[in-house]
Amino acid sequence: MKITLFAGLIFATLATAQEPAATPDDVGTRSKVLELAGAFSNDGYRIRDGFWTGDIEKGRPRFLEVNLFAGNEYWFCAAAAQSARKIAVSLFSADGKPADFQTYHDGPVAAAGAEPEISGKYFVKLELLEGDKSPFCLLYTYK
Amino acid sequence: MLRIATAAILMGTTAFSLASEKPMTKQEIASAEKVEAITIPTGGEFFAAMDKASNPPWGQFVKVVSAPPSDSRERITLILGTLVADGYVAVEAQDGQSVKNVGKEILAHAKKLNLSQSVMGRAGSINDFADANDWNALREELEATQNEVKLDMNDQSDDRLITLVSLGAWVRGADIASGVVAGAYTPEAAKVLRQPAIVEYLIERVDALPENTRSDKLVAAVRTGLQEVLPLVSEENLSAGQVADLHARMAALYAIILGTASGS
Repeated sequence: MKITLFAGLIFATLATAQEPAATPDDVGTRSKVLELAGAFSNDGYRIRDGFWTGDIEKGRPRFLEVNLFAGNEYWFCAAAAQSARKIAVSLFSADGKPADFQTYHDGPVAAAGAEPEISGKYFVKLELLEGDKSPFCLLYTYK
Repeated sequence: MLRIATAAILMGTTAFSLASEKPMTKQEIASAEKVEAITIPTGGEFFAAMDKASNPPWGQFVKVVSAPPSDSRERITLILGTLVADGYVAVEAQDGQSVKNVGKEILAHAKKLNLSQSVMGRAGSINDFADANDWNALREELEATQNEVKLDMNDQSDDRLITLVSLGAWVRGADIASGVVAGAYTPEAAKVLRQPAIVEYLIERVDALPENTRSDKLVAAVRTGLQEVLPLVSEENLSAGQVADLHARMAALYAIILGTASGS
């Protein structure tokens, strides 16, 4: 049931975005990241209807600006293709200092969770720790 | 403290750890990307934080306004954005009839902009979920509707209007949230109003609009209003007086968008 829902979400997103045709790796990363986010949604988190996608390679981390609200709890979830053997997600405050966050790793799937005390700008870092250049997909959940 | 233990159990793993990282370099900060669908939070996220901070009496803030008729695509789009924020408030208040009224107004404004059947379908789903009192589904549907509107504008090569949807939604959301805090001030609730990067981002987006849109009287007035509230939403600890000032400014900006402000 859940898998069907995820598949529906993935294909709906890919179909409506009208981007270049999705590769199996693109579909796979979205499927994996939705699966991880689904575990959080079972714990009351809402999945934001938006994705950050691209490629990651070793030694060239990617950064994304986000805006968080004090009091909310967040998990930033990312997935890459199997060729990316290990990835990591981390969180930084507006001045670039590491925020207070926790991490989850499982090979090409990772997440960072935080409950910010100050509302405002933060940065999410996505890094390939082991493996080859790979497409990735990141989304976040909150409650 | 995040309840990671629960999440770990759900995932059948305990592969969680506390993080240790080096600070970002200036180059890394400068290289950070912005993706609107992730970088700019939804109204639902804003109100979820408000809910935790002060448990507001949302019912008092539900308002569905039928805006005066307008031929201006800029005004219609800004109002459409405000309606999405109103929808989130009606959902928080668990007021099904108001949610349906908001859905009807969204539909009417989408028609004026010649948006596609897919947007119309979303508005129909809002009604169905409201009838079923499915509040979680309604939150998702409102976000999906906003995304669908933007996607449709993009398809119609009317992407200048996308910025205005976000702008309208933020103005109305901030108007409501500052009103909530002004009505029952607590320092914790006031913290949620700190959103300098969002306002800076919206100003950047307005500045990137084509000249004829940027110089539109209404768009220019909203941009000026954003610039004026930037110092207030940059404060880490807003006082009760500052919250009242912010609310007065946001309410005035909302009235300008609706066309109900004196002189607008």
